[in-house]
Amino acid sequence: MPILEIDNMTKVYEGKVTHRAINQLSFTVEEGEFLAVMGPSGSGKTTLLNMISTVDEPTSGTILMNGVNPHQLPENELAYFRRRQLGFVFQNFNLLQTLTVEENIILPLTLDNQPLEEMEERLAIITERLHLQAILHKRPNEISGGQAQRTAIGRALIHRPSLILADEPTGNLDSNTSRDVLELLMHVNQEQKTTIVMVTHDPIAASYCDRVLFIKDGEFYNEIYKDDRRQMFFQRILNVLSLLGGGQVGDLSTIRLP
Amino acid sequence: MTFRQFAYRNVFRNGRIYAAFFMASCFSVAVFFIYSMLMFHPNLGRGVLGEVSLVGMAGAEVILVLFTLFFLFYSMSAFLAARSREFGILLHLGMERRQLNRLVFIETMVIGIASIVIGIIFGFSFSKFFFMIVREMLYLEHLPLYLSWAPFLLTIGVFTSAFVIISYLSVSFSREYKVLDLLRGIDQIETSFQYSIKRAIKGVVYILVGYGLIIFTSYFTGYLALTIFVPLLITFGTYYFFSDTTLLLLAIVRRKRKINWRRFRLLAIAEQTHIMKNNAKMFFVVTMVSTLAFLSVGVLATMSSYTTQYNLINPMGLIYKGDANNPYEGEHIRSLTEQLEERGLSYHLTRFVVVKQTSSATKNEVEVLRESDINRLLYSYNYPMVNLQEGEAMFIPNTEEDLQILKDKVVHTVLEENDIAIQIDRVYPRVIFPKAVISVNSIILSDEDFEKLWYVTSDPTVAQPVYHLFTFDVSNWMETKDITLDVDPTAMLNKNSPYKLENAGLNYSYIVATYSLFTLVVLLVATVFLLASGSFIYFKLHAALERNQQQFAVLRRMGLTDSELKKLVNRYLFPQFFVPWGLALLHCTFAFAALQLFLKDLVNISIAKEVILAFSFLIMIQVIYFYLIRWRYIAHVRS
Repeated sequence: MPILEIDNMTKVYEGKVTHRAINQLSFTVEEGEFLAVMGPSGSGKTTLLNMISTVDEPTSGTILMNGVNPHQLPENELAYFRRRQLGFVFQNFNLLQTLTVEENIILPLTLDNQPLEEMEERLAIITERLHLQAILHKRPNEISGGQAQRTAIGRALIHRPSLILADEPTGNLDSNTSRDVLELLMHVNQEQKTTIVMVTHDPIAASYCDRVLFIKDGEFYNEIYKDDRRQMFFQRILNVLSLLGGGQVGDLSTIRLP
Repeated sequence: MTFRQFAYRNVFRNGRIYAAFFMASCFSVAVFFIYSMLMFHPNLGRGVLGEVSLVGMAGAEVILVLFTLFFLFYSMSAFLAARSREFGILLHLGMERRQLNRLVFIETMVIGIASIVIGIIFGFSFSKFFFMIVREMLYLEHLPLYLSWAPFLLTIGVFTSAFVIISYLSVSFSREYKVLDLLRGIDQIETSFQYSIKRAIKGVVYILVGYGLIIFTSYFTGYLALTIFVPLLITFGTYYFFSDTTLLLLAIVRRKRKINWRRFRLLAIAEQTHIMKNNAKMFFVVTMVSTLAFLSVGVLATMSSYTTQYNLINPMGLIYKGDANNPYEGEHIRSLTEQLEERGLSYHLTRFVVVKQTSSATKNEVEVLRESDINRLLYSYNYPMVNLQEGEAMFIPNTEEDLQILKDKVVHTVLEENDIAIQIDRVYPRVIFPKAVISVNSIILSDEDFEKLWYVTSDPTVAQPVYHLFTFDVSNWMETKDITLDVDPTAMLNKNSPYKLENAGLNYSYIVATYSLFTLVVLLVATVFLLASGSFIYFKLHAALERNQQQFAVLRRMGLTDSELKKLVNRYLFPQFFVPWGLALLHCTFAFAALQLFLKDLVNISIAKEVILAFSFLIMIQVIYFYLIRWRYIAHVRS
């Protein structure tokens, strides 16, 4: 059963220079899927993510999430929808500097006015899973990048959203921490059946996913599914990227005169 | 594009960012200008207020300039801090520090000159209006608008030098941040400040001791010298309160999950901690400045209540009091009546003979007045007459309070010297004489009994056993102020002087003059202080705006509704506004409670009504200010 259906979505930025960021894009995400969206810079990845996270509206076309079109909800309902159904992981973590790690994690629950026992229970589960026990009382500027991203993932998970949206979650991390974070996301996806949509242009990050969707200049370009071996999958992603990557590779003339 | 052009365009194209600083400068210039217009007014210098007032006004002007300087310096620094990212980019592109300083200098001067011009235009157009208000307040006949170069020159001179000084100071006093820190925004830099529990306790204790001391000294006026410690205690207490006590309280609350983990509290408390950590000094300054402003407004209200109640306390125009053997009596009374007639003032003269006796009931001295004498005065007042039988007597109340106490009192006593038994069972229902003219122990005796008073008090300590009292009831008593006895006025102050003249009109004119001067000074200082204390907070908010914008962007993405955003902003702004002002109000409440207790002994007037009125007016201004700034803040945060 698809959790997210995107149908013929188009986004045009109007202004002094009109710019078509997304052009008639359609795809679906199944429940429990881990999807990566890849594409070169300026291909409309972030625009797409903004529209799925309902902070931006498509010019035409529809988005259905669990059968509901969030863009048709009144403004307050839309905010509640984001608060309960979506979790966010950002490239620069976006933790609130004034809050401690544990306060950052439970923030979505306090905004929703949950009872204290419930919050403590969920916090205990999440911190154990994410190995954050040692740093719970530290401030975001006192912890490493990997710990910060784990905290951000904790914040995205604590309210048990149906969809997690990750925007370049490994963009600011070194390779070891990146691997930790990606494995964590993968485990979350496999064990809790949480659906994740991740935007990235790192092929290694994409190789942890079930499926990779490629877009170019706002249009659907290609999609590939996971292999048995991650290494193979990674290789295939690279192949698509090299085709996608620029004029020279993809535009080789097919006819050569002798 | 030359360097100077770059600076000009920087200012003019970023009008929105510069607006707040520009408005603050404009307002300071306008207030200063209006006040200078008043100070240089040709009618005021020689006229009503005299030399003293000119010195007072000049003094206020100096305080104003110093404070404006500090205020502009502070706003400028906050403003520069808010632009740190921009400066970071410029330095990153290879601008020298020296050039950056020049840029800041040129920009400040552009804003400064613009605000001087606009401020003077604004001030000049409101001068007439201000003069009209002053005229009404000081009971002047006319106070026309005039044109003179002096106020213009003074304002331009003072503010041009102020802006030059400020731009130099703000550049040379600002810390040299690293380019990277500037690019990130210096508000993000965490201070490593830690509160100390010792100082936190000190803060509360100092303030409480200060309050205790001020109340104590107002009850036991003998220890009045101790009050000099009060400002000291309050100042240090307030400082520690903001630097440590608030942080301690916030830390305690943060540790209690049950309280802290609730809806917006989590964010609001964390934000307050951050703000307090970084801005303790600013809050301290705002509190002290507001305290001063509130105090001066409160004192003004007190003065106004004193002047309005003066009429009630002093219903009489002139009172001449002299010993029975005063050699000048006839001459003086003639002189006074002649002077009154010269001025065409109608008066009603009553002569009293007051005899001092000893009461057997209390063994105290008592002053006795004659029924027919007092009736003559009461007749001129249109007050009810006194009708006493032989053996009866009546209390004369000195104050409204005496009236309440004496109302149901019945005393049987004997005037010892002449062995006259009387029953004092009534009190005259109104206060007749101003305070301190006759003794607290005064009674009216029937004419029959008064005739029998032959022997005067035998108490050797009493200097004047019999004295004469001449009351001139003048309906236009405010106009008696230039009536004097043609003698050296200091002779009257001599303790052994056989006579004394009380001139209500003259006393009142002194009070009015002081009061008007004070009004002018206080209104000006309080306006500027109030405005400034609000602006401090606004500029601080402005400097922290970028960080808060980021924070709110994250929260909105996470699903914060618009109404929740407003509630959260309320919780962010409310303590910043009302904790300093609330504390200032508390300081002032104690100060005025003490003043009230003190005044009660001295002149017996109540200031509670006026002070409460003034304070509610101040609170209203603050609430308006809060909503104004909240409105701007929400607009910024949403964008």
